[in-house]
Amino acid sequence: MARRTLVFAALLAALAAAVVASLALGAVKVPFSEVIDVLLGNGSGGPEQQIVETLRLPRTVEALVVGAALGIAGAILQGALANPLASPDVIGVTGGAGFGAILIIIAFPGSIALLPVGALFFGLLAAALVFAFAWSGANRGSVGKVILAGIAVLSLFTAATTGLLAAYPERAPSAIFFIAGGLTSSGWDEMQTIWPYFAAGFACALLLIRPLDRLALGDDVAASLGSRPHLIRLGAAVSAALLAAASAAIAGLLGFLGLVVPHVVRMAGGTSSHTFVVPASAIGGAALLAAGDTLARTLRAPIEMPVGPFMVVLGVPLFLWLLRKAV
Amino acid sequence: MRRFIRRMREQSTPLAALLLVALLCPPSAAQAAPPKRIVALTPFGANTLVKLGVEPVGISQTLGGQERFSPKLEDVEVLPLSHPNGPNLEQLAALDPDLVLSSPTWAKGNDSMGDLGIRVLVREPRNVNSSFAQTLAIGGLVGKRSQAERLVKAMKKDVAKARRGIERRPTVMLILGVGRTPFTFLPNSWGGDLVTKAGGRLLTGGVESSSGFERISDEVVVAEDPDVIVAVPHANEDDIPSLTEYLRTNPAWATTSAVRGGRIHISVDNSLLQAGTEVARTIRKVRRVYLEN
Repeated sequence: MARRTLVFAALLAALAAAVVASLALGAVKVPFSEVIDVLLGNGSGGPEQQIVETLRLPRTVEALVVGAALGIAGAILQGALANPLASPDVIGVTGGAGFGAILIIIAFPGSIALLPVGALFFGLLAAALVFAFAWSGANRGSVGKVILAGIAVLSLFTAATTGLLAAYPERAPSAIFFIAGGLTSSGWDEMQTIWPYFAAGFACALLLIRPLDRLALGDDVAASLGSRPHLIRLGAAVSAALLAAASAAIAGLLGFLGLVVPHVVRMAGGTSSHTFVVPASAIGGAALLAAGDTLARTLRAPIEMPVGPFMVVLGVPLFLWLLRKAV
Repeated sequence: MRRFIRRMREQSTPLAALLLVALLCPPSAAQAAPPKRIVALTPFGANTLVKLGVEPVGISQTLGGQERFSPKLEDVEVLPLSHPNGPNLEQLAALDPDLVLSSPTWAKGNDSMGDLGIRVLVREPRNVNSSFAQTLAIGGLVGKRSQAERLVKAMKKDVAKARRGIERRPTVMLILGVGRTPFTFLPNSWGGDLVTKAGGRLLTGGVESSSGFERISDEVVVAEDPDVIVAVPHANEDDIPSLTEYLRTNPAWATTSAVRGGRIHISVDNSLLQAGTEVARTIRKVRRVYLEN
């Protein structure tokens, strides 16, 4: 118990540090006192206030929400499918969202405002296809069937995305940031459109915490305790699909986070209990994305780089260290 | 007999010297016969050839539509391009070219063309001055050096005329692509150089990059406050209203002078993206339509 508390405290400290850094650092130097004043509503006006209020604050909030969403999506999928390699990729969401966004960027640049909606729609469509195939016919809802259907749908959408990029190579640069994953400074606009999907995904995940713990005992034991394993698995997949598709709509393709963060918190906390893993993954994911985004926009400032590689740089050493200790 | 031998010796010395010179100094490129069958994979290369009175046997698909090509190229075969190889090698080889004027964009394809034994020269200027130098180079290649010199003289005169009377130097953010993460043109890009020549001051945040493009922070955009935003989105004319609205409503740029003053422009002909021979005309358009200076 003390170990879990310690890990929670460390994660919260990391989150606080990441939030402070995200608000205080950027391409333009804004005094920290001014940042505090703006956050307290006492800004002096002018570009500095706008930078903190319109650019950094919404971006920090997006990083926290998307990071938490991907952390939770990975945690509940790994629990529901009892597979350490499960992540939003496995249920096709990432491939579908990527295709939806690239389709808008490349084939319909005039409708670029629909990019988040396109990513969300195709992400959920891909997940729906996976569910339709995995929950029909023999062995419906089995772990193997879900994973295989997911890989097939992911391949389908990845091929379509590659085809689009090859057909319109001159338009590919606009798609780089989406593919590599990155947050933008687009204020609250995108969040205003996408937040209901995050809310539904978070609520669903919250309800699944205890059922997932029962499922971890095995399908037969879970069923004997009154749970319905296939329904829990479907609920987890739907929740993960909502969270991952909404995240892709905001921040592009950041599959790594959903895969690694739950493992890190599981190993650090020494437990697989979802009561611990789900909230800890949310905090860890939020901290990792906020820190990665701050690095991506300050390391070569004023040039902005995609955040995906920075999360890998931050997350992989910790993951490998914990993995070595666990083995 | 002795007299005959002496005369032969006297005459053979210069002959031998001539033979030696001929062996040691093969004909230079300039002396070699100019290539007859030329394929131009850029609008700049194709239009320069036409202006020099040479008709290429093939031209390429181009960004921004075929209207960027001279009307004299209407009947010339057009080769489709794909990234990063450029033209289909079988279609190219079927044209049996002596020379291909290519672009760095097709770097991988250029090597493959070379492997086929085709002479490939990269001729795609990144700034106005290099367009003059490359025009002269193409003129030399096709044996039209004096025409090229006249053409460059006329181009320089026209450019100087197009730049005359610049009164204001607005800050211009010139962006490539669509979405909330566009790339910014830097001064060492074709479009960046044209906007600078037209009197604009490019918003770059002090960034330098060999590629000529970088994604820069919106914080810099707010701090440097562009007077004009020009976007090159790889889109069609029909998309201009929706793209203008999309840029206008970007919350990150809402307080810039460009957005508040309604000075957001979309350039879909790609004359700012890929070099062409219409340098002075483009500078005039940039001044008249975008910079209003």
